[in-house]
Amino acid sequence: MDLSLETRHEDGFTIIEVGGEIDVYTAPKLRDKITELVGTGEYDLVIDMEKVDFLDSTGLGVLVGGLKKVRAHDGSMRLICNQERLLKIFRITGLAKVFVIHGSQADALAER
Amino acid sequence: MATDVVRTVPGITVSIARDPALVRTVRLVAAAVARRSSRDEEFVEEVRLAVGEACALLMGASHAEDEPVTVRLSVDARLHVEVSSDGPMTPRGGLPRDVAGVEPWVLLRALIDDFSLAQDGSRTVVSMSWPLS
Repeated sequence: MDLSLETRHEDGFTIIEVGGEIDVYTAPKLRDKITELVGTGEYDLVIDMEKVDFLDSTGLGVLVGGLKKVRAHDGSMRLICNQERLLKIFRITGLAKVFVIHGSQADALAER
Repeated sequence: MATDVVRTVPGITVSIARDPALVRTVRLVAAAVARRSSRDEEFVEEVRLAVGEACALLMGASHAEDEPVTVRLSVDARLHVEVSSDGPMTPRGGLPRDVAGVEPWVLLRALIDDFSLAQDGSRTVVSMSWPLS
């Protein structure tokens, strides 16, 4: 399974729905998408990972890089993830404390 | 007439070119081997993640761009995985590799109880194993 990226706008946020595998091969596509959005002035991002099947440290690096990019513009990046196998990766790398992770899009968009 | 099978070194060895697109193939092989050893899908997922992670890091770490990354899997009382490639552990330029703030190897060190990263002559070797119940 390759990586799928779908972007839409809601409540002032730009939501990137990610599907498939974020790994050493596909992570650059996600990085490019985030860079493109930040380049067009979209600084409040929600990365929806509900349909992500695999995540490695290359993918984590892209997410951390994205967070730095939006914060440089006083923006935000929220993650949506409810899969225990992915949440475990965030926990053991200490990144669960770095990212705001929500269980659903409704929760992610509700918090102001 | 029955033919005696001459057994070679046990296990499965896969070598892939330094193409990130091929890491997924190795992950699939690793998951298949793990699944033959256990029905615990959490264990299978951990092996899949670990093997993919080790391959990805070795691809990014070595100077030897023409040399393949080799993955050897074998099973006895444990599932053993060795991922290796030619070249030193230090990356291009000799600086610690840090992917946008994510320290290399931290995921594997935290995830796998039996994990080692060593230099064997000119090769970098990642060794991991898991007990089988």
